[in-house]
Amino acid sequence: MQNDTPRPGDVDIVQRIVDGDVNAFELLVKRHQALVLRIVTRHLPNQEVEETVQEVFIRAYGSLPAFRATGDFSHWLSAIAVRTCYDYWRKAYRAREIPLSALTDKHQQWLENVMSAQLEESSAPKGYRSEAGEVLDWALARLSAEDRMVLELIYFEGHSVKEAARLLGWSAANVKVRSFRARKKLKKMLKGISSRAGQGGAHEKG
Amino acid sequence: MKKVEYRLEALKKILFQAYHQKEKPELGDRLRMHIMDRVRKMGPLQVKPDPLTLFGQFVWRLTPVTSLLIMISLAVLLEFDFTPDYNVLISFVSDAEEISLAQLLPL
Repeated sequence: MQNDTPRPGDVDIVQRIVDGDVNAFELLVKRHQALVLRIVTRHLPNQEVEETVQEVFIRAYGSLPAFRATGDFSHWLSAIAVRTCYDYWRKAYRAREIPLSALTDKHQQWLENVMSAQLEESSAPKGYRSEAGEVLDWALARLSAEDRMVLELIYFEGHSVKEAARLLGWSAANVKVRSFRARKKLKKMLKGISSRAGQGGAHEKG
Repeated sequence: MKKVEYRLEALKKILFQAYHQKEKPELGDRLRMHIMDRVRKMGPLQVKPDPLTLFGQFVWRLTPVTSLLIMISLAVLLEFDFTPDYNVLISFVSDAEEISLAQLLPL
């Protein structure tokens, strides 16, 4: 037999929670867990994901009375998730918890291979992928928390300036300027390591 | 120069793919349980009323004091003798030209 009860909307559930029904929050967690997990996984290291996803939902719960019924709940929650990730990076950079070590021999070797053989990621073995991720982390760690978030949102995830500004709670002009500067910094960094790796590969071949 | 640019583009492409191929940890029910434990510990939300409601509450709280002040003022006014003021008014109306300070003040 089919259940004809209409699925309550997010706004109705929010109203129930605000009226004191704490357990109704579980419905929202179930519905939006995958979305928050996807956002947090993209921005943070894997070991920080679980704690941060919890933090996002706790923040959302505390802010529910401020949620406007006219807005989309998932958009509202996405903004909380992005801002929680940004706060994580701000704290981490302030506490100098970001490792700023130089690229290891393994990474240099990987870069040389990439530069010389033009190995496509899709055809690369699994270990190759993890090294690409580590090199990416190395590069992003050299940017500020602000530059890192803007770059990830606009360049890697393809959000518009307006959308990134909404997610971060910044002005569009600020996002535009930061995005331009961050891309320039990353390009300079990648140019440096790719030319070094290119030279290394050429020397080995010679 | 062109070679460096070409290498850079290849590297960018690989890093872009690496960003999107990050493995997603499996959290599922355990995560939901932890969140709900924390939420239940926090308890029901304390909804802060908007400033207009707060103002309304403040005004209503002052109502008994205001009513009492009005009643006291009324009682004081009723106890007061209005006759001198009435006389002054009559003197103004009846003989406005001859009015003087001596007439107004009971000297």
